[in-house]
Amino acid sequence: MTVLTLTAQPSRDAGMAPLPWRRMVWVTWRQHRATLISVPAVLGGVALFLLLAGLKVHHDYAVLAACHGAGAAACENRASALTSTDWTMANTVLILMNLAPVLIGAFAGAPVLARELETGTFRYAWTQGFGRVRSTLARIVLIAIVLAAVSGALGVLFAWFFGPPMRNTGMTPGEATVFVTRGLAFPAWTLAAFAIGVFLGMLIRRVIPALAVTLGAFLALDLLAWLVVRKLYLPELAPGRIALLQRQPAVPHFWPAQFIEAGWLLALSALLVAATLWLVRHRVA
Amino acid sequence: MNVIETSGLGKSYGRVAALRDCTLTVPAGRAAALVGPNGAGKSTLKSMLAGLTIPTAGTAAVLGGQPAGSAAALDGTGFVAQDAPVYKSLSCGDMLHLTANLNRRFDHEYAQARLAELGIPLKKKAGKLSGGQQAQLALTLALARRPRLLILDEPLAALDPLARQDFMGTVMTAMADDGVSVLLSSHALAELERVADYFIVLASGEVRLAGDADDLLAGHRMLTGPAAEAGLVASQQSIVQIRRAAAQAHVLVRISGPDEPVPPGWEAHAVGLEELILAYLRAPGGPAQPGPSAALRPEPTEVAR
Amino acid sequence: MTIDKGISATGDGPPTPIEYRLDPASGVPTYLQLVQQVEHALRLGYLKPGDQLPKVRDVVAALAINPNTVLKAYKELETKGLAAGRPGQGTFVQATLTQVALPELTGLRRSLLGWLASAEETGLDEDGIVALFTSVLRDFYDHRGGADHKGGADRHARGEVRADSEGAA
Repeated sequence: MTVLTLTAQPSRDAGMAPLPWRRMVWVTWRQHRATLISVPAVLGGVALFLLLAGLKVHHDYAVLAACHGAGAAACENRASALTSTDWTMANTVLILMNLAPVLIGAFAGAPVLARELETGTFRYAWTQGFGRVRSTLARIVLIAIVLAAVSGALGVLFAWFFGPPMRNTGMTPGEATVFVTRGLAFPAWTLAAFAIGVFLGMLIRRVIPALAVTLGAFLALDLLAWLVVRKLYLPELAPGRIALLQRQPAVPHFWPAQFIEAGWLLALSALLVAATLWLVRHRVA
Repeated sequence: MNVIETSGLGKSYGRVAALRDCTLTVPAGRAAALVGPNGAGKSTLKSMLAGLTIPTAGTAAVLGGQPAGSAAALDGTGFVAQDAPVYKSLSCGDMLHLTANLNRRFDHEYAQARLAELGIPLKKKAGKLSGGQQAQLALTLALARRPRLLILDEPLAALDPLARQDFMGTVMTAMADDGVSVLLSSHALAELERVADYFIVLASGEVRLAGDADDLLAGHRMLTGPAAEAGLVASQQSIVQIRRAAAQAHVLVRISGPDEPVPPGWEAHAVGLEELILAYLRAPGGPAQPGPSAALRPEPTEVAR
Repeated sequence: MTIDKGISATGDGPPTPIEYRLDPASGVPTYLQLVQQVEHALRLGYLKPGDQLPKVRDVVAALAINPNTVLKAYKELETKGLAAGRPGQGTFVQATLTQVALPELTGLRRSLLGWLASAEETGLDEDGIVALFTSVLRDFYDHRGGADHKGGADRHARGEVRADSEGAA
């Protein structure tokens, strides 16, 4: 029969150095491989679509803009036919982009802890040498980094994609639905949704209910931001703002507003993560 | 070294106390068995010792005074929970790699050799293993960490007799090879008698009896004699249980040594472990520790026919 | 059919001559069963002085019993003078149990049969005979005093400590 190697007892000093963080990279990758592959894969598909569709959109709106002078009316009619379908498609994508943070965040976040608790694997994971608070923090941070990177990239790509239709309809980046899909706001909303998902997953301890409550909580937060919080730093646009072919002035508050929005969202996320870790420390079983 | 040391340990969920005033001292090198009905607090106690549950009262320490749940305690304690949890979508090889990453020590050679011996392929998904194989995998992972204390939370519940034998064989071999101390629980008292040399009897969240098997047996005897004298004998002795019929009575008493005199006209027999444990499980009341420091005694029970 | 290679298949050193088996329903403590099996093996000649007793770890792996139990059995054998431990090597048979020669055994057998016949004539049944014999046997060794504690542990384990010796059970 197999004999355990090493007969000498390993030394055990009370002040043991904690296990290095880098070990959690492989652990997180292996434990969350499904999420870490599928989210970038899906978003990669979306990115490809945005790229290809965006090239067409840019082309069509360029044609429209080039129509002036003699025969402008006929040219414009032809171009408008194309750009109106472009606009419909772009608007749909805009709506989806508004939904993206909660979808990404909830599906990535809720199962992180809820699945451990639901399946009972926490009884294995949290009795290992790498303490449960540290390992949970590492997993959350590592996944968050990946989500921030892909959502940030997607936001940039969407901003490019949506540029011509937006300018053409007189919308500005200061408008709420557009504001959240670009810059720092888009990744910040994604991270906030993720943090909400992780926290509720720990609190509710079951994946499906946690997902459902995360969606609800996110919508509540979104409404709160829309109706109350954002008014503090993003001024309302003048009424009758939608005026075709009428260029609005660039929003001077755009970047400061982006920083403020990302700021409070990230603060909220950090608070939720801290609360999650507190629960992990004190309310496991 | 005391491998387990608790003092007034308790855990309450709201107003319900799962465990109360638990004070234990288990020396190292033992296989300690937790015995008691379901809901007695066995899982709660093990969970606290493994560092998963935070006590609401008292303290728990393992491996010579390391607070349960501390880095040093986690490092030296292996825990195999109920249902022997493993990540079902990971391969066995991945589970090895995972455990190696999450711990200071991991004996890869042992783990791989052991799985090969058991006929468990490394590439197979952990979720596709049989119940017995999963339990053996979880045990292998725990033992490969070279713990000094192994806590088994009834992972044997769903195993067939052969799988149980293999599993306990592995555990006992680890004790022999490496001096690992073990804490386990089981309802099969006969099996525990072969495997355990320290017993902790829990009922209704309290410790009723605790000690080395030899000490417990040497510290009790069963007196058999006339039912009419049972009351008199009971008042002179430290009794645990009286069973009285019309003519004959059996009185389970605590003794300080084998030379303690037997009441005239009465017979004394040694008590078996199962009989002793069952008697304490029936006895209501406070905790009891045999030996010189015995303080409180449980209320004796009386069973009349 | 599978044939076990034997519990000393680890390959280091000559195989041990005996293997233990357990009878969990016998009521006899495990460690005592091991002691009795060693004594039995000595009497029957399976074990000779110098033979190695099964290694603790091998016994434990085969029977899934507590190693402290095996250690206790081997300690008891040491106390009885039948075995001795060599550090780092194992436990070895040291002496042998006095083997009574066959003619003497036959003579004892005959006289015992005669006694049994008389006991039956007085009206004792089998259990009564066993109780009487056990009681007298105990008294016999008790009177030997401190020099012979051989039966001590066994008696306590079998659970028979009587306050008085009058009458059968």
